[in-house]
This record gives sequence, C-alpha cells and structure tokens, in this order.
Amino acid sequence: MNTTWMVVAAVFAVLIVWGIVVYNRLMELRNRTVNALAQIDVQLKRRYDLIPNLVSVAKKYLEHESQTLEAVIRARGQAQAAATALRTAPGKPEVAQAMVAAEGVLGGALSRLMVVSESYPELKADATMRSLSEELNSTENRIGYARQAYNDQVLEFNNASKAFPAIVVAALLGFPALPMLQSTQNAQEREAIRVQF
Amino acid sequence: MKFWDFQADARRSTKGLLGAFLLLVLGIVVSVHLALALVFWIPALLMVATTPLTLGQAAVTYPTGFLATNVGLVTLMVLGGAWIKRDNLKQGGLHLARQLGAREVRPALSHAEQQYANIVQELCIAAGAQLPQAMVLPRDMSLNAFAASWEARDAVIVVSMGALEYLSRDELKGVVAHELSHLREGDTRLNMELAGYVFGLEMLFNYGEEWSERGMPVFGWPLMAVGWLGWLAGQALKAAVSRQREYLADAHAVQWTRNPDGLGRALRKALWLQDHAHEAAAMQSSPGLRGGSGLRSPLVAHMLLVDVEDSDALHDAWHLGGVNWLASHPSLEERIARIYGQEQDALPLQEGEQRWVNPFAAALPQARPEA
Repeated sequence: MNTTWMVVAAVFAVLIVWGIVVYNRLMELRNRTVNALAQIDVQLKRRYDLIPNLVSVAKKYLEHESQTLEAVIRARGQAQAAATALRTAPGKPEVAQAMVAAEGVLGGALSRLMVVSESYPELKADATMRSLSEELNSTENRIGYARQAYNDQVLEFNNASKAFPAIVVAALLGFPALPMLQSTQNAQEREAIRVQF
Repeated sequence: MKFWDFQADARRSTKGLLGAFLLLVLGIVVSVHLALALVFWIPALLMVATTPLTLGQAAVTYPTGFLATNVGLVTLMVLGGAWIKRDNLKQGGLHLARQLGAREVRPALSHAEQQYANIVQELCIAAGAQLPQAMVLPRDMSLNAFAASWEARDAVIVVSMGALEYLSRDELKGVVAHELSHLREGDTRLNMELAGYVFGLEMLFNYGEEWSERGMPVFGWPLMAVGWLGWLAGQALKAAVSRQREYLADAHAVQWTRNPDGLGRALRKALWLQDHAHEAAAMQSSPGLRGGSGLRSPLVAHMLLVDVEDSDALHDAWHLGGVNWLASHPSLEERIARIYGQEQDALPLQEGEQRWVNPFAAALPQARPEA
C-alpha cells in the first residue's frame, strides 16, 4: 500500500469518527427534546388528576353552579382525550391543534369557575380548596416552564443541527429541524389561568 | 434586564478574577523567596558598606535547598489551608443547613410551605436542574435565603421563615431561582476553595508571627508582611468573585422566572428592612424570632440572598471609590438597579402581610388579557 492510499484511508477514518461524534451529539440533543416533551405530558396529567378533586370540593359550596362545574369536567375529559391522542400519534399537526384547542377550553372553564367562586366566601376559606388551588396554580406554572424548557431544547438541537459542518451529517442521516411549541409565544397562553387563593 | 448579557459578563469576570488569584499565589511564592533572600543579603550589604570588601567578595551563600524550601513551604501552606477548609463542607449541604438550625419543608403544615415546596419544583423544571432539598429556618424572621452543596446530590435551598411570611409567591420564586443558580453553577464549592487558599495565606502570616515571637524577627517579619498583603489581596479577589456570582444568580433568576419584578420586589423589601432595622424589629414582636444569627456563619455568608455581615471596622476601612472591596455582595441598590435597569425605591413591609391572604385579588382580569 502506497502513501497516497494511506493518506486517503486516514482522511476517511477521521471523517467517519467525526461523523459518529456529530451523530451521537445530535441523537443526544433530540432525545433530550423528546424527554422535555414528555415532561409537559407529565404536568398535563397532573392537572387532569387534580381537577376532579377541585370540583368535588367546590361542589359542596356551589349548589347553584352545577353548569359551571359540569363544563369544567367536560372540558377536562376532552383535553385528556386530546392529550391521549397526541401521545399515540405524535407529530401530527392537526392532533396537536386539537390538543391546544381543548386546553384552551379547559383553561376558560377553570377560569369561569374561579370567577364564580369569588362570591362564595366559605369556599375561599376552605383549607382543602386553598391547598388544591395552590397545586393547580403550581401545575399551570410547571406546564409553562416545561414548555419553555422544551423550546430551549429545540433551539439547542436546531442550532446544533443547522451549524456547518454538522448540517451535512444531519441532512445525510435524517435529522429534520424540530418545531417550537408556538402556543407559548402567545402571551395569553403563557399566562394560562391564574388561580389564587 | 438583559439577562443573557449579564450572565456572559459575570462569567467572563469570574474567569479573569480566578486568573488573577492564580497570579497572586504565584506572586506570593516569589515574594516570600525574595524577602527571605533579602535577609541573607542584608549582612553582606552591611559588610560592603563598613569594610573595604566588594560585593563579589562578600559572597552571599544560601542554605542548601533554599529555593525549594521557600517554594515548598508556601505551596504547602496554601494547598494545606484549602484542604483543611474543605472539611467544613465535605459533609454536605444538608448537614450544614441542619447545623444552622434549618429543617425540611413540610407542605402539609401551612399554605406558605406548600407554595414554597411547589416553587422549588417549578423552578427546577424551568432551570433543568436537579431537585434540591427544600428547607426552612423556622425561627428566623429576617428576609433571607441560602443554598449549599458540595456535590449535586446533597444540595439544599434554605429560606427563612420571614421570607415565607413577607414575600408573595412571585417574590419567593425570584429568591428561590437566585439560590438555584448558586447550586447549578457550583458557587458554594468555588467559594469554599477560594476561602481555603485565603486561609492558607493567613497561615503564612501566622507562621511569620510565630518566628518573630521566637526571637527571629528577621525571618518572621518578611513572612508576616507578604502573608498579610497576600491575605488582603486574596480576600479582595474572593469577595470580587463572590459579587460576580451574585450578579450571575440575579440574572439567572430573571431568566428562569421571566419576571424581573419577582426578585426585584424581594430585594426592595430587603432594602427596606436594611434601612428600617428598628421598625422591622418592632414588627417582629417576639425577640426570640429576630433573625440572622445562624446566617452569620462564615460558611454561608457568601451564599445568602442578602448580606448580613456586620459592617465592622475592617470592612468599612476598605470601602474605597464607591466599592466595598471586601464585601461578598454588591449593594442591594446596585443589584436592584441592574435588575430593573434603573434605580428603585425600597418597598415597605406591612404588618401581617401574609402571602396566602388576599385570595383572588383581581388576578383574573389581569391574567387573561384579551388578545
């Protein structure tokens, strides 16, 4: 084997090693975004679990507001179904759209419940209600932060996969740019509902 | 607040200061050697002055291994000092917090503690940080907090009861985010190591003092002089690093909470407490509840949200050109001005201001701005 071939082989080996390193890095970053997305799901589930408790406590005081309470329960059911659908078919824009819409309806229903409960002092004074609404409030924050963290991860992945020369590996091995969660760009959505007791 | 810029700025300054610290230690090694060499030169120079001998003839002879001994001695003291100091924190943040009287948070105990425990979890999501142990200083009604860790797994965040009592949810969030930054950036460890090196320089001074007391001031004084100057410069550099870490933590708090007003208002309340010590003491009616004592420990002084160090003569003496060179924290006014981009007034605390009173408080109309 002459020198030229050895040089070619060495260059080739370096290229392969470099490719492996870039691939591993992109893979790691993409896995982190998947994990960040799963975190949002965990927090959403926490919210769905809290709502029935909240409603059952509120029910004791809000005799004449059964419609509002039913609306919350209904919205919670729809949002939960939409979240399940998204889990089974991730990456479909229309499923994600439906999910965002269902979350919006749920937020609105909870908000109405909070407005209604304004005029029920006993409800506001109920320790369990206060504790539950703190949990709900915290969950809203966690959802927001989990989205923020997801978007930060997506930004890091997209930056890494679009930089030259990594973009060559990304294009060859199939690392498409990931979309951000647009809903968090919207101030209304980011504020979510504010539950304060 | 341009928090990305401030973070980059604080990181760059820390690196520069750490470089300066390294140079300082090298400088001390060289100075000790030169100072002790001078001790050997003085008799020779005297001989040249009083006798017809030339400098070449009055040749100075050093003891064997003179250079190696000097360099070895100083290095040993500086590294040894760091090693001794390390022991303090090696047992972990949890141990330290317990020593200062903190206990684990109990979410079932009160609404405030429930909120605090929740806030720590929320911010760990925002910061992508590991969950530290949340703790409370139950008998401390001052407005303060600290974080400590030697390794990630023993990290703790501790807040005073006063912080739980007087801060709103958003304000407490800013405070916890600030402490979380100290944990994530490994500031406790950095500071302990620097403190160790400074302690080593102090040992050099003490060693010199011992020599002069034993009747060998010619060796003692140069060591004392170099040791003292080194100690002072080390203190100033350590304090400067600590101040940069405070700015970094403030910038992180704004980044993670995306709300400068949270930490900003907490610091403005702390400023009010600082300016109105008497009124504050009257509010915190039970004398047993007055705070700060446990927090005066030098082990956590640099990690506190708000500095509680006594402004003793030493610190006052080094207040030059608008900068307190030995202070571990920038002034509250300066931090507040950085957070808001302009100066802000102190926020008075109100008697019985409890964060869980004020239910609903017009939050709903604000919270849903019509798009």
